[in-house]
Amino acid sequence: MNTIKEFLSTDHSRCDEIFAVMEEKAGDSLADAKVVCQEFKDEMERHFQMEERVMFLEFETKTGMTQGPTAMMRQEHAQMRTLMQQMIEAIDANNKDKFFGLSETLMILLQQHNMKEEQMLYPMAQQHLAADSERIVSMMESLIVE
Amino acid sequence: MELTGLSTDQAPPISAPVRFFLTAPLFGVLAGLLIFFTDASTLMNRYSIESIVITHAITIGFLSFIMLGSMTQMLPVLAGAKMPKVGLVTKYSYILMVVGVISMLAGLLTSNTTLNIIAFIGLGSGFLIMLSATALSLKTVSNFNATVKGISTSIVFAFFIVLMGLYLLYSYISNDINSTHIIVANVHSVWAVFGFAVILIIGVTFQVLPMFYVAPKFKAFCKKRVVWLISTGLIIWLLLSAFYEEYTLFGKLWIAMFVWAFATTVWLKLSKRRRPISDVTVWYWRSASIFLTLGSFLWIFDEYFKHEYIVMVAILIGGFILSIIIGMLYKIVPFLVWFHLNAMGYMSIPTINEMINKRVAQAQFILFIASLIGFIFSFYMPDLLKVSALSFTISMILLEYNVIAPVLVYLKTKKTKPDFDMSMFEAQKELR
Repeated sequence: MNTIKEFLSTDHSRCDEIFAVMEEKAGDSLADAKVVCQEFKDEMERHFQMEERVMFLEFETKTGMTQGPTAMMRQEHAQMRTLMQQMIEAIDANNKDKFFGLSETLMILLQQHNMKEEQMLYPMAQQHLAADSERIVSMMESLIVE
Repeated sequence: MELTGLSTDQAPPISAPVRFFLTAPLFGVLAGLLIFFTDASTLMNRYSIESIVITHAITIGFLSFIMLGSMTQMLPVLAGAKMPKVGLVTKYSYILMVVGVISMLAGLLTSNTTLNIIAFIGLGSGFLIMLSATALSLKTVSNFNATVKGISTSIVFAFFIVLMGLYLLYSYISNDINSTHIIVANVHSVWAVFGFAVILIIGVTFQVLPMFYVAPKFKAFCKKRVVWLISTGLIIWLLLSAFYEEYTLFGKLWIAMFVWAFATTVWLKLSKRRRPISDVTVWYWRSASIFLTLGSFLWIFDEYFKHEYIVMVAILIGGFILSIIIGMLYKIVPFLVWFHLNAMGYMSIPTINEMINKRVAQAQFILFIASLIGFIFSFYMPDLLKVSALSFTISMILLEYNVIAPVLVYLKTKKTKPDFDMSMFEAQKELR
């Protein structure tokens, strides 16, 4: 059985892989990268919602911490959503420099965000939600993105 | 909703690391100028005052400033550790360290006891405050992974290096340079390079390389054992140097072997990275890997040549540490500016690629590498020294320019407030 920490950390790596494919495609032709960029954005959105609508809510209910680490992570999700939207716009405008500038910014923001989650938030969540781990992972797996 | 509270809560104020980053290249410029005005034969001797002064302009003024400054930023992200009173600690230790290092460089060059005493107090207190604050923040870490272990080990070595450094400086104050001084100086330098700098870089690399370049993760053996193996090697080497000097080669072999293995692993991981980009930071990782490999081999061979090449070893391994640090600066400074501005609600900020001119960064890299190669060959062609020193100085001026550029973006954006957009946060509120 996957723990919350393992499940969400694995999902980080999965999104990183799509990111790498997207950059590779964009290097050849920006227009060709649109499909994979949209796929990346959708998969990231799915990851964010698994956290925001399932795990964070459970964590906040259990610990009573609504303005703590989860609030910070929600704010960074919002920052990333904006960057990904701007990346799509850069593809539409066929502006390669802008696209790679945004993807580099997103990459660093994303990775320092993932480090904070994997080093701190997930272990904390696992500790507080251990008894419900199985239920929470299965809820995240079956989530329908809004 | 306290928006700025969210970001300042997780990250220290931007001034905490940036004051160190802005000052460091200036010491690089100073080092370059000092090399320019020094004779090649004087620099061949590692114990000449000029060599000691130039080395410390770089090791204290450049490297330790950036390494300790970035620790304030990295610890909260990598380890969830928050430095106590980070604003005050960095402000005062920064002032003490700047006064200390300038006094030391001037004091040693002019044999001025008063300046050396000021240096002793400034560097002693500055370093000890900064290191103690870092150590205290590490005590609060619950998830003790390989990176945190690496950083903690390097901080332990740093305490010893500072204490040894203070002892060495005191010998100049009391005008008593005896045989113990030479032994301590040797341990001080080897531990500073391998115990502090190399171990710190290894610890951080475990995390940073796979994440930022989507490279394969380091093997569990590497993450669990390498820091421990190098630390043991350094202690074995210390004992051999103190009691069985003729066997020190074995200690060196032990250290060099694992350091070289690390350098090769970095090269291989980088080759297998999933991200296709090849910017100046990737070039710096590559050059670092080459410098470390050559440096660790030459350190062994130097044993057979009666330490004739020890300065060359210092240039190579110094080239490794500088490469990593400069490459990191190119990522961290623009990101910090972007992150802090974005968290304040500014939306149309330049991307991090737009904050530093790519061509200036490339020119800086080329001049830097050319200067190091020039320094090495100036052993055989002393005429090369001056032109290499010039190349190094210009590369440091360009680096200063590249660090200032993003900071100016930060100041300008805060002053002109181009678009203060709260809609993102409003949308977030609704989502919750």
